[in-house]
Amino acid sequence: MKSDDRPLADPMLVLREEFDDWAILFDPDTGDSFGVNPVSVFIFKHLDGRNTLDDIMHKLSVECEDAPDDAEQYVAEFIDSLVQKGFAGFEQ
Amino acid sequence: MKDEGNIRVMKSPKTVELSITNRCNLRCIYCAHFTSDGDQGSDLSTAEWLKFFVELNRSAVLDVTISGGEPFMRDDLRELIDGIVRNRMRFSILSNGTLITDEMAAYLASTGRCDYVQVSIDGSYSGPHDAFRNNGSFDLVVAGLKHLQAHHLRVNVRVTIHRHNVQNLDAIARFLLEDLNLPGFSTNAASYAGLCRSYADEVQLTVDDRSQAMETLLRLNKQYNGRISASAGPLAEAKHWLEMEDARTENRAKLPNCGSLRSCGGVFSGMAVRADGIMLPCSQMPHIELGRINQDHLVDVWLTHPEFKRLRERRAILLEDFDFCRQCDYIPYCRGNCPALAYNILGEENHPSPDACLKRFLEAGGRLPTNNGQLIIDN
Repeated sequence: MKSDDRPLADPMLVLREEFDDWAILFDPDTGDSFGVNPVSVFIFKHLDGRNTLDDIMHKLSVECEDAPDDAEQYVAEFIDSLVQKGFAGFEQ
Repeated sequence: MKDEGNIRVMKSPKTVELSITNRCNLRCIYCAHFTSDGDQGSDLSTAEWLKFFVELNRSAVLDVTISGGEPFMRDDLRELIDGIVRNRMRFSILSNGTLITDEMAAYLASTGRCDYVQVSIDGSYSGPHDAFRNNGSFDLVVAGLKHLQAHHLRVNVRVTIHRHNVQNLDAIARFLLEDLNLPGFSTNAASYAGLCRSYADEVQLTVDDRSQAMETLLRLNKQYNGRISASAGPLAEAKHWLEMEDARTENRAKLPNCGSLRSCGGVFSGMAVRADGIMLPCSQMPHIELGRINQDHLVDVWLTHPEFKRLRERRAILLEDFDFCRQCDYIPYCRGNCPALAYNILGEENHPSPDACLKRFLEAGGRLPTNNGQLIIDN
């Protein structure tokens, strides 16, 4: 994805927050569910079609101390994986 | 998140059972619903259910079980299911199966959200099935089941074992697994709840019946490669009681999660709503009223209601503290069993269920399944 893309999560997905800030991402159309770690929960909540990758990285750096140098790459890969699964797209 | 008895409680229920109607087209004499505290006069309106589904969505409830009464009695069932789908949930339906048309099955399949439809079949032919249900209901439920199969919906057949079909189990298994080609079916037994309380002597299995049913079901399950399941009733009892007896004869210290009132874990993952909108900890405990939908908040009830807390903390109550369990060798291997059944028999949820007590079963002349005189441990 490009740094100025504005990813948007599929609004039909359910983010069910569980213990220790982890969550389950549930697709009601398939019944599939995926465990999501706290950083991914933070990212997912910002996939609202308004935030770019840069915006999300900035907010993540405020929220999380000592983010690794290659964090942006991992965030981009996570969002790409959501797009590939059909869980997110990009706001035009 | 809360911690109750070393078990953390989720922020909201994962699943909710919705009794959408009090009405039913049948009057099965072992029905757990009629004459119970769940048997309330009036049904909620469409609008009230639809409003509640919005709250379920907001609370991240993932799936609902639609029950009754008989859910297909409601003329607005499609509208309700459309509301469930719109609010990002999946659903399953518990039904007697007699009102399911091809058109309805097609609609259920079209939603893409139906996990399964459970229907009741208690015989391989009309005799044992209709014995305690209405005449003609066997043919109707088989027709309904075939409509569901034709639309590739997952069908869960539940066989309730009673005094008039306990001799028919071989034929029932053959009918369901071979003739109807179902992947499996589940079993339970007519239990002391609802209408069954008035007909217990006619309906419920005797000690000899239970002994025979356990042996037959274990044999059939082996014959059909584990395609018969149970969470209660003779098959479930056979598996757990053999495990308990095995542990006792080997003098093991204990079995996991045993020695206290560990059954059941349902109050940690789900709750229920009565047809009149009253929230419950479980559909089997309709006497415990926790609040009303659209007036009380689901998550507040889930996290803070004292009755939920009491039921969740029952797992800390040791079996050795009950006079009922005194001098029982099975305490380290026992979980106390269903609190709803304990309530129906004794008027107290936080007590071991007498009906599911292995010691009492054996003292009454009950037999654990054997193969050439040896206990069937490998089940």
